[in-house]
Amino acid sequence: MIPVHYNIRSLMVRKVTTLATAGGIALVVFVFAAAQMLGAGIERALGSAGRPDTVIILRNGSDAELSSGINNDLLNLLTTRPEVAVDKGGVIGEVVVVVTAELRDGSGVSNVLVRGMPERGFAFRPEAKVISGRAPVAGSNEVLVGKAIAGRFRGLATGESFDLRRNRPLKVVGVFEAAGTSYESEVWGDLDVIRTSLGRSAAVSSARARLTSPGQFEAFRASIESDKQLGMKVMREADYYRKQSAQTSGFLVGMGTAIAILFALAAMIGAAITMNGAVANRSREIGTLRALGFTRRAILSSFLLEAIALALLGGAVGVALVMLMSLVKFPVLNFQTFSEIVISFRATPGVVISALVFSVVMGLIGGLIPAIRASRISPVEAMRA
Amino acid sequence: MNLATYSRRNLLRQPGRTILTVVAIAITLFVFCAILTVVNAWNAGANEAAKDRLATRHKVSITMQVPKRYIDDVRSVKGISKASWAVWFGSKDPKQRTEFFAAFAVDQDSWFEVMDEMQVSPAQLEEWKQTPNGAILGDVLARTLEVGVGDRLVITSDIYPGDWEFKVVGIYTPLRKTADRNSMVFRWDYFNNDARTSFAHDQIGWIVSRIEDPTQSAALSRQIDKLFDERDDQTMTQSERQFQLSFLGAFSAVLKAFSLAAAVILIIMTLILANSVAMSVRERTHEYGVLRAVGFRPRHVGGFIIGESVLIAGIGGLLGLLLTTLIINMGIGPALEENMAGMFPYFRAPTGLMLTAFGVTLLVGVVAALVPAWGASRLQVTDALRRLD
Repeated sequence: MIPVHYNIRSLMVRKVTTLATAGGIALVVFVFAAAQMLGAGIERALGSAGRPDTVIILRNGSDAELSSGINNDLLNLLTTRPEVAVDKGGVIGEVVVVVTAELRDGSGVSNVLVRGMPERGFAFRPEAKVISGRAPVAGSNEVLVGKAIAGRFRGLATGESFDLRRNRPLKVVGVFEAAGTSYESEVWGDLDVIRTSLGRSAAVSSARARLTSPGQFEAFRASIESDKQLGMKVMREADYYRKQSAQTSGFLVGMGTAIAILFALAAMIGAAITMNGAVANRSREIGTLRALGFTRRAILSSFLLEAIALALLGGAVGVALVMLMSLVKFPVLNFQTFSEIVISFRATPGVVISALVFSVVMGLIGGLIPAIRASRISPVEAMRA
Repeated sequence: MNLATYSRRNLLRQPGRTILTVVAIAITLFVFCAILTVVNAWNAGANEAAKDRLATRHKVSITMQVPKRYIDDVRSVKGISKASWAVWFGSKDPKQRTEFFAAFAVDQDSWFEVMDEMQVSPAQLEEWKQTPNGAILGDVLARTLEVGVGDRLVITSDIYPGDWEFKVVGIYTPLRKTADRNSMVFRWDYFNNDARTSFAHDQIGWIVSRIEDPTQSAALSRQIDKLFDERDDQTMTQSERQFQLSFLGAFSAVLKAFSLAAAVILIIMTLILANSVAMSVRERTHEYGVLRAVGFRPRHVGGFIIGESVLIAGIGGLLGLLLTTLIINMGIGPALEENMAGMFPYFRAPTGLMLTAFGVTLLVGVVAALVPAWGASRLQVTDALRRLD
C-alpha cells in the first residue's frame, strides 16, 4: 500500500486547489449539519418534554391541548382511578390559550402559548426551575415566562404585563427554565385567574396524570376510553409530543437535508474536478509507482484515500463552523398549537458523526472515477510521456 | 483570432474538466433558483394578496372570537364597501384522504362578494342560499375528497364534537392564481344554530372587509379597532396578508435561513469555478509566457482567463436555467400549486428571477477568475517560459 503520507503531502502541494475544494465541501457539511442540529433541537424541545409515567388526557377528537376541553366534574373522576399516583403529582387540569404578542424588534407579531395551571402544576414538572425573578404568588395574576422566549416579546419580560382580557393584566414576575423542553417557550400562570379571564371557569383544556408506574398506562387508558360517556382520550405524554415533534421538524429537517444533498452534488463534482486534475498532473508519478511494483488496487485506494482526506478536511472545517450555530436561536412554528417555539441548534455526537460520514461519502463518490482512471494508467506510457 | 475564439478553443483542451465544471454550475444555479423560488412563492401571496381587504380579529388571540354584532359596526364605517365573516372549523376528513383541510362557516349572502377571487356560478350560489347545510368546495379539495355537486359529505372537527353532514351544492374556481383552491365553506347560520356550537353562540372568528381606497387601509384599520376599543373584546385589524401570516409568523426565520442557503450555494459555485480556472491557468503558465513574448499585454492574458471563465459560467448558467424550467416550472411547481395551494398558490421561477440568477452566474464567472487572472498577468515572461509543466 502507498503510504498516506504521500497523499497528504500531495494535497499540501496544491494549496489553492485543496482549499477551494475543501471549502466547498465545508459549506455543504455546514448546511447539512445545521439541518440535523435543528432537528436535534426540536427533538430536545418536544421529544424530551414527555415523561414515561405521565399521560395526557384530551377530549376525544382533539389532537392538541389547544382545541381540547374537559369539564371540571370529569376531571374529578380521573383522580379517583387506582392507577394514578396521588402522592407523586396525581392529576392536574390545565387551560392553554395562544396569545398574540408583538416581537420586541418590531418585525411583527407571533403567537405565544399561555398555560394556566393549578398550584401543584409547577411541582408536577420537576425539571422546571425559576432562574430569575421569583415564583408567582399562588392564585394571583402573576406569571412566569419561559427562558426561550424571555425578552423576545413586548410585555413578556419580568416587570412587564399583558392583557388576556381588558383591564385584567397578567404580571410577569420571573423567568423559568425546563431542561430545554418546549415549556420554555410558554408563559405559565394560575389556572383560575387565566380561565376566568377567558370566561371558561367550568372546564380545563387538558389534563395530565402521573401514574404509579409506566406499565399502568394500558389499564388506565382502557378504563377511561371504554367509558364513551366521558368522551376522552388518553395518550402517553411522550407520544403526544413525539407527534408534534415529527410534524414540526419533518418539514424543516427534510427541506434542509434536501438542500444539503443538492449542494453535495455540486461539491462532489468539485472534488471530481480536483482529483481528475491531480491524476492528470501526476500521471508520471503514477507510472513510476506502478513500475516500482505497486498494484492497480494500491493506486486506486491511494487516490480514493486522498479524495476522502480532502473531503474530511472540508467536513472537519464545516463541523467546526457549525458548532457556532449552537449560539443561534431559531423560532419555529408548532403546527399543532400555531404558536412559536424557540429552538436552539443542538450539537450531538450523532450530528457530528453523520456530518463526517456525509463528507466521506462525498469524497468517495467524487474521487471514484478519477481514482479508477489513475489505476488504469499504463506505467510504460506514463513514464514515456 | 480574437478573445472569444481563443477562449472557446481553450475550453476544449480539457473537455472532461470543462464538462464537469459546466454541470456543477448548472446544478448550483438550479439549486439557487429553486431556493429563491421558495422564498418568492412565499412572498408571492403577499404581492398578489388583495390590497383592498382587511381582516379584523380578536386582539388577544387568534383562537378567541368576537361577537357577531361587530359586523354591523364594521359595515357602518365610511370607506368600507363590503364586509363578511367566518369561523374556523378545524375540519378533519374521517376517511383520512387528506391530513387536514381548511373549512369555514361563513355568511352565504356576502362571502363570495368579498372574496371575489373565488368564482361560483349564480345558479350554485342560489342553490346554496336555499340549502341550510349546503357547502361549497374549492375544485382541488373536491377532487381530493372525491365529491361532486349533489354529493353528501361528512366531516369531523377537532373543536366541535361529532359528525357534521353537508350537501355539496357548488364548486368554486379561482380567478386569480393565488386563490386558495383547497378550502371549503358552509353556512354560518346552520353552524350557529347547532347545539354543539352553543358554547360560542353568535360568536364569529374574524371579519373580512373590502375597502374602497386601498391607500386608506392603515387609517381604516385604526378606525375599526377604535370602534371596539371600549368594548370587552378588542380587535386587531390587519391587511389580509398580515392576518394570514399571523398564523405562520415564525416562518420568517425559515425564509431567512433559505436566503442564507442561497448565498452559500453561490459561494460554493464560485469556489468550484475558481478552482477549475486556477487549474487550467497553472497548466498553461508556459503558454501565457509565449503570448506575452509575442506581444500580448498583461491585460490581454487576464482578459483571456476571465473571458474563458465567464464563458463556462454562461454555458453552465443556461443549462441551469433549462433545468429550472423543466424541473420547477414544468414539474414540481404545478404539482405543488395543486396540492399545497394554501401555502404555495404560485410556485414558479419567474423570468425576472431567472434573468437575475443568470446575471449573478456571469458575475461569479468574473469573480472566480480574478485571482488566477491577476496572478497570470503579473508573471514575468522569463519566469513563465521557464515553467515546463
